[in-house]
Amino acid sequence: MSKIYSLTLVVQRYDPDTSRAWRQTYKLESGPILRFVDLFRRINVEQDATLAWASSCEHAQCGSCSINVNGRPMLACELLVENAVNLFGTTEFNIAPLSVAPVIRDLVVDWDKAYERVHRAKPYIIKPKELPPGMSENRISPGELARYEDATRCINCFCCAEACISSNRNFIGPNAAMASIVRMMDRRETEKEERLDLLYSEEGIYRCHTSQACSHVCPKKIDVASFIALAKEGAF
Amino acid sequence: MGKKLQIHSALACDVLIIGAGGAGLRAAALIHEQSPDLKILAVTKVAHPQKSHTSTAQGGMAAVDPHDKTDNALYHMFDTWKGGDCSSDQNVVKKIVEGGWEEVQWMERRGIHFSRDEGGSISKRQFGGHTVEFGKGDALRAVFEADRTGKGIMDTTWGEALKGGAEFINSTVVTEILFNEGCCVGAVLFKTKTGEFLTVQARATVLATGGSGQVFRITTNCRNNTGDGLAVILRAGLPLMDPEAVQFHPTGIVGPGILASEALRSEGGILRNKDMEPFMERYAPKMKDLAPRDIVARSIETEIREGRGIMNPDHRIEHVWIDLRHLSAYVHEVKLKEVASFFQTYCNLNSRAQLCPVRPSNHYHMGGIPTNEHGEVQNSAGEIVPGLFAVGECACASFHGFNRLGTNSLLELLVMGRSVGERALSCLKENQAPAPKGAGEATLAQFANYAEAQGKENVGLIRKEMRDMMTRQVGVFRNEQGIQDAIASLTDFKQRAARAAIATKDLRMNQELLERWELDNLLDNAMTIAQGALMRKESRGAHFREDYPDRSDEFHFHTLISMTDFGKISFGKRLIDMSVFAAKGEHYEQFRIMPRKY
Repeated sequence: MSKIYSLTLVVQRYDPDTSRAWRQTYKLESGPILRFVDLFRRINVEQDATLAWASSCEHAQCGSCSINVNGRPMLACELLVENAVNLFGTTEFNIAPLSVAPVIRDLVVDWDKAYERVHRAKPYIIKPKELPPGMSENRISPGELARYEDATRCINCFCCAEACISSNRNFIGPNAAMASIVRMMDRRETEKEERLDLLYSEEGIYRCHTSQACSHVCPKKIDVASFIALAKEGAF
Repeated sequence: MGKKLQIHSALACDVLIIGAGGAGLRAAALIHEQSPDLKILAVTKVAHPQKSHTSTAQGGMAAVDPHDKTDNALYHMFDTWKGGDCSSDQNVVKKIVEGGWEEVQWMERRGIHFSRDEGGSISKRQFGGHTVEFGKGDALRAVFEADRTGKGIMDTTWGEALKGGAEFINSTVVTEILFNEGCCVGAVLFKTKTGEFLTVQARATVLATGGSGQVFRITTNCRNNTGDGLAVILRAGLPLMDPEAVQFHPTGIVGPGILASEALRSEGGILRNKDMEPFMERYAPKMKDLAPRDIVARSIETEIREGRGIMNPDHRIEHVWIDLRHLSAYVHEVKLKEVASFFQTYCNLNSRAQLCPVRPSNHYHMGGIPTNEHGEVQNSAGEIVPGLFAVGECACASFHGFNRLGTNSLLELLVMGRSVGERALSCLKENQAPAPKGAGEATLAQFANYAEAQGKENVGLIRKEMRDMMTRQVGVFRNEQGIQDAIASLTDFKQRAARAAIATKDLRMNQELLERWELDNLLDNAMTIAQGALMRKESRGAHFREDYPDRSDEFHFHTLISMTDFGKISFGKRLIDMSVFAAKGEHYEQFRIMPRKY
């Protein structure tokens, strides 16, 4: 027989109609391998259809379901009940939306606002390198790719930006900075000047206090801080 | 909801793209490159294009490299034709296969991070069903970005559309398509974030709304894949094609439903039932666990149906085990690293020491909105609907026939995305016809109905019951009685749904209201899948009828199905294009109707 946990979820809620914010407690029993998205779905069916929460792929590839669990930004789709109990040493969890973007309702935030930072970092090759005559594709050795490949795994879940001690204020944020750093390191990008202007601007990487919280919370286990450190050194 | 629902605003653009996944944004990027001054609106249901389902595709994208002396477009065309159980349209197969490498180059120059070989060239790998010389040997045909090829494609197409200046409307769904004298002139949208309805007038409208996997309980599809575009098409009086062609992967991981790749079995993993019996020996004495996907899926389902499955107590899902414990440390740590990490992440299981739970999982909808080879939508008479295009999983051209080969979906969405972009440009009308009088009234009436409904039914519960029922009765196995019962159940669910009151009154991010609308879409999709499956008294590709286990030439056609009122069905047929065979060119005999035997 599988173990049963008696859970208490204290969820930060917000109703845009009345602008009322409150904390609501849900109690439910769960086996060890239900995920927090499964718990939310169960709350909708069994207790309260009005609770709004975000998700899409539900296997850590889209970064839509980021929430704060006991103050730690995490993906609700890969947080198993058993692991949460072990990680926090409790069966009571405070669930709150991310603070990097305005809340629309309950746990759903305005991703458009969060993504404005990523868009400012121009997440594309601004000016692609011309291919040498006779070549139909660029050659990039596995070793060269390996230098920045980890940064390309970023799914913009904004957990790093949430944990970052600087990004709520003037810093463009770890994930947005990384979007530009990758393209500094990618030989196919020729527009390096414009990228440097952003990275070394008022909202650029020198706002980073090197707490390395970004690396610590990244669900994809990307060492975000190491990329920012490279950029600070100019070691693209 | 108190306030009367109304159309909040009316927008206009040149091209309206509904669904900003890989297919929709490939079309957007093409249009920007060729006509930078056109105004494109790209609408997506998810919170941002990068959150699209395209991002979840793992393994690779098939494309024949013209510099590769061992491979040939004809081989890829053959694999696709045979894999689709001789039900693909050959003109479409030819076009998509021949357009593949150009797309690889397009993305490579725009920043996709393809995995590379030692010389720095794009790496290629083998995938099931892809062969050279018409089945003689394995083909190295799939380019890939590690285990996240879809993400690479999504990031690249999104980046290019953004760079080109497309305007994005995120967290927004299409509720109605607008017509004026038979031409599509735009659509009605509902912005879930702000709770606003709007009409958009467009000179071309592209539907790229993705799949409908949420019809089934166990699925690899994301939460948003509720077949919205297909339901909207049905309500417009247009048909769907081959709705019964639904693919199930044999080994989804219990919990998230995501794929535990075929590699588990090719590396020596053994499927076992609750008595620990290696049951594949009974179903496929020679190939055992390496038997083709559909045979493995049916064997697992049989074990579960006959009481030899295991119930996962947390998810309440029945499954069998895959035993990987005997495999070497190298296989676990290197070859199966990714899948092994899924079992750890989602089941807290160490695949080196513990049995892992798997079962068949819904994966892909081959059927969809019927289009020609340019992505132009057709009505039930086969005529083009001017101004309306469909591309990606929501569309059916048909490239995949009744069974899709791995790595062919990413190929399709790029080649057809580009093609739809080109076609939309060449068909743009000078003078935009106005939206019809009363545009959006049907949508407002529909949503007012939801908002005003009274009763104690629960939308989430009905959705759950429907998904369980469809998995059981119209899933891997189908038979006359089971489908008849399913249709009766769907009718009952539809009636129950009308008695679900919505407690959230304000329209902004009203998840209850959105899910109520999604439930209607899911029920429409489920009904067409069930009706198509009932009509098709044969087995073809992924559509398997226990009572008619063989393919029958009598059914050598595409199903067309229309349903303006729930449950009231009318059927039509579309011929399967066999133009490659008919042209009698080199190797044309490989494009005859043949048995799908491997």
